[in-house]
Amino acid sequence: MAFWRRFCRNRSAVIGLVILCLVILIAISASWLYPEDPFKLVGRAMSPPGENGFLFGSDTLGRDVAAGMAHGARVSLLIGLLATSVAVTLGVVLGALAGYFGGWIDDVLMRLTEMFQTIPSFIFAILIVAIMKPSINSVVLAIAVVSWPAVARLVRGEFMSMRNREFVQACHIIGMSDWRIMIREILPNCLSPIIVTGSLMVATAILIESGLAFLGLGDPNIISWGFQIGAGRTVLRSAWWVCTFPGIAIMLTVLAINLVGEGLNDALNPRLRERT
Amino acid sequence: MVRCTLKSLTSESLVKKLCTAALAVVAVAVSSQAISQSAGGTMVMIAQPEPPSLAPYLSTSGPIGLVAPKIYNGLLDYDLDLNPVPELAQSWEVSDDGLTVTFKLQEGVTWHDGEPFTSADVQFTIMEVLKQFHPRGPNSFREVSSIDTPDDTTAIFNLDNPAPYMMRALSAYESPIVPKHLLEGKDIREAELSGKPVGTGPFKFVEWKKGQYIRLDKNEDYWKEGLPLLDRIVARIIPDASTRTAAMESGEVHYGAFGAIPNIDVVRLRDLDDIGVTTDGYAMINPMALIEFDTTRAPFDNKALRQAISMSVDRQFLIDNIWFGYGKPATSAMTSNYEPLGLYKATENYPAAPDVEAANALLDEAGLEADADGVRATATIDLIPYGEDWRRLGEYMKQAMADIGVKLELRYEDVPTWLKRVYADYDFELNVNYFYQLPDPVIGVQRHYGTDQIRQGTPFVNSARYSNPQVDELLASGAMEVDAARRGEIYAELQDILAEDLPVVNLFEMEFLTVFNQKLKDHTVSAMGAYGSFDRAWIDD
Repeated sequence: MAFWRRFCRNRSAVIGLVILCLVILIAISASWLYPEDPFKLVGRAMSPPGENGFLFGSDTLGRDVAAGMAHGARVSLLIGLLATSVAVTLGVVLGALAGYFGGWIDDVLMRLTEMFQTIPSFIFAILIVAIMKPSINSVVLAIAVVSWPAVARLVRGEFMSMRNREFVQACHIIGMSDWRIMIREILPNCLSPIIVTGSLMVATAILIESGLAFLGLGDPNIISWGFQIGAGRTVLRSAWWVCTFPGIAIMLTVLAINLVGEGLNDALNPRLRERT
Repeated sequence: MVRCTLKSLTSESLVKKLCTAALAVVAVAVSSQAISQSAGGTMVMIAQPEPPSLAPYLSTSGPIGLVAPKIYNGLLDYDLDLNPVPELAQSWEVSDDGLTVTFKLQEGVTWHDGEPFTSADVQFTIMEVLKQFHPRGPNSFREVSSIDTPDDTTAIFNLDNPAPYMMRALSAYESPIVPKHLLEGKDIREAELSGKPVGTGPFKFVEWKKGQYIRLDKNEDYWKEGLPLLDRIVARIIPDASTRTAAMESGEVHYGAFGAIPNIDVVRLRDLDDIGVTTDGYAMINPMALIEFDTTRAPFDNKALRQAISMSVDRQFLIDNIWFGYGKPATSAMTSNYEPLGLYKATENYPAAPDVEAANALLDEAGLEADADGVRATATIDLIPYGEDWRRLGEYMKQAMADIGVKLELRYEDVPTWLKRVYADYDFELNVNYFYQLPDPVIGVQRHYGTDQIRQGTPFVNSARYSNPQVDELLASGAMEVDAARRGEIYAELQDILAEDLPVVNLFEMEFLTVFNQKLKDHTVSAMGAYGSFDRAWIDD
């Protein structure tokens, strides 16, 4: 409850949470709001918003932009969450091993991490998707592969600073296994920065997915916001609505997630906030 | 600059030059009353992308075709109705049996370096260059066994079998006549001529600044009296599409063809007063958007399914909504642009409006029952990776085919992977693509349907692996038939069979767009369009 009160103290975080909940709600109810396939050609092509029964207009083929956005919300959130969970899992495991054991394990894992960090992440993601066939799996994998190093670095730092604390040494003395110390003792103590990083990473993942879909590297069988923008950019001068509404959706969602991430940070690290 | 002027002031020819100038002024003044054409001026055109070389005798690459036919001549040119008109050949005669073709060449023609042009150049070009090194030359001149040159202005082609299609392959773009004295005894592929072309055409090659422009100047000694009208042609290389559009909009360039200006921008530019748009000048290219099927395995070994697809596609919808209204629904295996040749026939299974009901009835009848979800067949559709338009087409197909119970998954890969999948591995089910049908079915259509065109690993041939002895026979006799009426009957029969079998479903005849500044006149005066010589083009200032 104290956590919730601290979270609510940050007004913008609450606004972010409201927007995010709304997006999630739309994503969940997409197939109820728009039971048809969002790719279906349902009416007159290039209808402006509000005309011919299209809330946000229709695109060059006569697909409903609003339906695409509702179904796209599902895809964007799903990819964001999936990619983040893969990246966080990978980052936590590697970071924990490196930070806890140190020595040559640390050296090897950190050189590996650096190798990934030196490649510009978006270009790397393009490369991965281009080599594999563009599909929802390859997109999730590509985002995860370019995102995990940051988590690994963070977790390693946390583990390093904790492994020599007294409570950890006490654990050693009573004969706890390394495995158990890592999972049961150290990890819970560094969960809050991981949660904050993870939440912000969801926003980045949504952006990367949109970028890939915009460039035509998304799964061609699945609608997403980036795909809608990419498909509509050629008609930007004559049908502005095709790009604009999905663009606003991306902006709002990413903003909301960032605000929530900030709020989580404040709520989970109260001392940090009081200091400032 | 100053030094130049001083030099010319002191030169003896000054008086002569002044006289010529004065005469020219009078001539222009007189002629401008009669006809409005005026000589002089520089035309700037877009070359997109940059040509790999200027060797039209080695490659048919599009951008080479934009520049080289201004420098080289062909034996013939073709008017807008595809009729041959004289070029280097002032007249020609085909013997009754179709086995000898005699060309009477123009007199007094010289190469840009001053050497005289003779029938020996023609003989050398066809036999030693085009038949050996040109991509389509071996096919176009397949039947030519030798060329006799009784005198300097006569070339007699001796053929093993009649080859009426050859007469459509003699343009400067398809079969440029090249100088024997600069190529003989050299490695044709490596010869310097490919970067420094020397032709007989209206413009001389001057300079090629890589990545920037190619400059051609007027050939003062051109063999056509009073031509060319332009002083100079500059082919500018502008890689970015929006920069090309901006250059056209600002009047910086006069001419852009073959989609140099994207359709979406054309829709906007065509409303401007000083910009014009035409779809003329592509009758020799005849691009056709289509779907190829792997006819050797399920589900598309069943021709009822292929017919149902052809019947239920809304071709006009594709043209209107994806290609901004530019295109014409296909009605046969062959383009309607063959109509002037008498080779075109509208056929069954290409309805004017989609008929989903009939398609479903056909499939029911063929025993392709729908399952509980209404699905009769599932397949993956590959899309030609040449841009957004084709993806939209795929998305349309996926939706439209669901109505007849064909469930499609879209696949979009990079060019080499896609080419390998379809033409080398045959690892596809149906593939969206486009082919050039070119000026004659022997050159452009045969490669799609002939059994001998099942050439694993060669792109843009019979990937459907369609083999029908009757079709092979018709293709063979159509290629050799000299009588135009008889030839038309052969191809009509062929088109009926192909409409029934549909190893390839044609979607629509694509229309490339030429965008031009209204100041530029007489640029599209032959079927060659942008691949023409431009000797009659002029600028109205």
